[in-house]
Amino acid sequence: MTAIMQPGFWVFILTMAGIYGIFSLGLQVQYGVGGILNFGHVGMMALSSYTMAILVISHGINFWIAAASGVAVAALGGAFLGLTTLRLRGDYFSIVSIAFSEIVRYVIYNSDNLTGGVQGSLAIPVIGDNYPSYTDTWDSLVNHIRDFLQPRLGDYVDRDFVMGVLVWITLAILLLLVSRIEKTSWARVLRATREDDDVPAALGKNVFRFRLQAVIIGSIIGGIAGIYWGLESTLLSPDDFLTLVTFYGWMILILGGATKVKGLPIAAIFFGFLYGGTRFFTFWPFSIIDSSQRAYIRIMIIGFALIVLMMRRPQGIFGKRQEMVLE
Amino acid sequence: MAEFVQLLFNGLVEGSIFGIAALGISLVYSVLHLVNFAAGDFLTLGAFAAFFFVTSLHMPFIVAVVLSMILGVVVSLILEFLLWQKLRKSGAGMLALFLVATGVAFILRQTISLVFGSNSRKFDLDQLTTYEFLGAQIAKTQLIVLCCASVAITAIALYIKKSTTGKNMRAYADNSSLAAVSGINVDRVILATWSISGAFGALAGVFQGTVQGQFTNGMGLDLLLSILAAVVLGTIGDAYGALIGGFVLGVVMELSTWDALFGGIPSTYKPVVAFAVLVIVLLFKPEGIFGVKARKI
Repeated sequence: MTAIMQPGFWVFILTMAGIYGIFSLGLQVQYGVGGILNFGHVGMMALSSYTMAILVISHGINFWIAAASGVAVAALGGAFLGLTTLRLRGDYFSIVSIAFSEIVRYVIYNSDNLTGGVQGSLAIPVIGDNYPSYTDTWDSLVNHIRDFLQPRLGDYVDRDFVMGVLVWITLAILLLLVSRIEKTSWARVLRATREDDDVPAALGKNVFRFRLQAVIIGSIIGGIAGIYWGLESTLLSPDDFLTLVTFYGWMILILGGATKVKGLPIAAIFFGFLYGGTRFFTFWPFSIIDSSQRAYIRIMIIGFALIVLMMRRPQGIFGKRQEMVLE
Repeated sequence: MAEFVQLLFNGLVEGSIFGIAALGISLVYSVLHLVNFAAGDFLTLGAFAAFFFVTSLHMPFIVAVVLSMILGVVVSLILEFLLWQKLRKSGAGMLALFLVATGVAFILRQTISLVFGSNSRKFDLDQLTTYEFLGAQIAKTQLIVLCCASVAITAIALYIKKSTTGKNMRAYADNSSLAAVSGINVDRVILATWSISGAFGALAGVFQGTVQGQFTNGMGLDLLLSILAAVVLGTIGDAYGALIGGFVLGVVMELSTWDALFGGIPSTYKPVVAFAVLVIVLLFKPEGIFGVKARKI
């Protein structure tokens, strides 16, 4: 139980919560406004983080350009997904999106010469005799900020703390941007398409284009989450991007009330505790199973939580029930 | 030529398994408007249950397969009473159905992992006997699976077409309120749908485990992608389409590795082919291969 006492652990939980929060915000734009059910969101995270890692490690490209390219590739992924399936009924989009993210992971898994395959980013081919790391530029930035803050705030300011602060600042900025976007006429048209395609179409609105834009914006936000994911974990593995992760994002979205952004950060923290807290399930009856099996229990709990949430409180903790049905 | 025959045969075997699994998903969708993301894990459940009955309870293989199909039905029906019925009554939307199905998939998969661990298992069957046919090596297990699958497919196709419940099922899928008003026993239709989906999911899992030789707790999940592609390929909600979609996809995936086709793609990329086929079909014929374009009013 010693880990509970360490502030470092809580910083880690909050940082992960922030990254999942950003990730979930991408879904919020797509579902909360546009009613689009994207179950392949984790694919955008995989695309952006791997693009960034490959550009830095294999091609020696500047980190900031690589990160921007990563987000751009995620946006392209969203555009591809949208262009092929958004014209169809909503359930088709859901099926194809889940297939899309699995394919992204599958290709990463099998393209050893590009992505390092099963071994992850440590096996990405390097240029010269570099070490396969993509975090150097970021680390030096974080260290600068730490050196600036530490004398002013105290010794607890370490690398992880600064990382957490940057993640949450990013989340706050994105939340602000998204809530601005959601007050525009663009969002009003999109919201109208949730209920009925024909009315906005009759008013001369290109429903398909609005939806495509929503998917791309969501994918960009998902791509930003992917960059942070890569920086936080410092090495990538194809197994970081299981379909499971998409549903972590959905869980945060539903918990926070899907149609409003206000609840999202609180839901993200709640999810972070639920996710991180299960590792302290060392008491009976969980003590009879070993730690690798406890990882199964964690996912089972997430499954139970999803079911109970959808059966009992589909509007989430902070949402209103009517809004889930009709905006 | 030998390679072509080999791949074609492998494709037919794999396709029959896709078809059986896809049929369950498509049927459930047509009647209940639910894309069952947990379907892949029913395959895993079927394979592991049969393994358990054979290895731990020393049952004959056939009995074990039947019991695992029954288990698939029982689990499906329990879920119907616990979850789906309530969700239907509360008028839950597409998102709720999707997420509950995902939750079910998580619980099912983790339970299997918890009980059986992550090691790979294999059925105690004669995996080595092969027959030669036009230069191709055809495994006895493959042949048995293909024969059994063909029987199962014929039986279910006839059942849906001829039996009263099958007719009611199609009527209900077509227009649920009209079917209910004209006195169709809706509850029976729904239970029959879940039973077919559960039993055939488990059967497909046993078949896949047999053909693969070894299987792990991720088997069903790995297949789900291809099965969903088969469902969409054959027009979602169309049971016969799902069967044919499964065969088409199985054959296309196998043939894509053929050397004569520009060297063929590496066999590890087969699921990518399934996805590519899916995207191409959606782009050019979004109503599926056999679907009819909905008339615009």
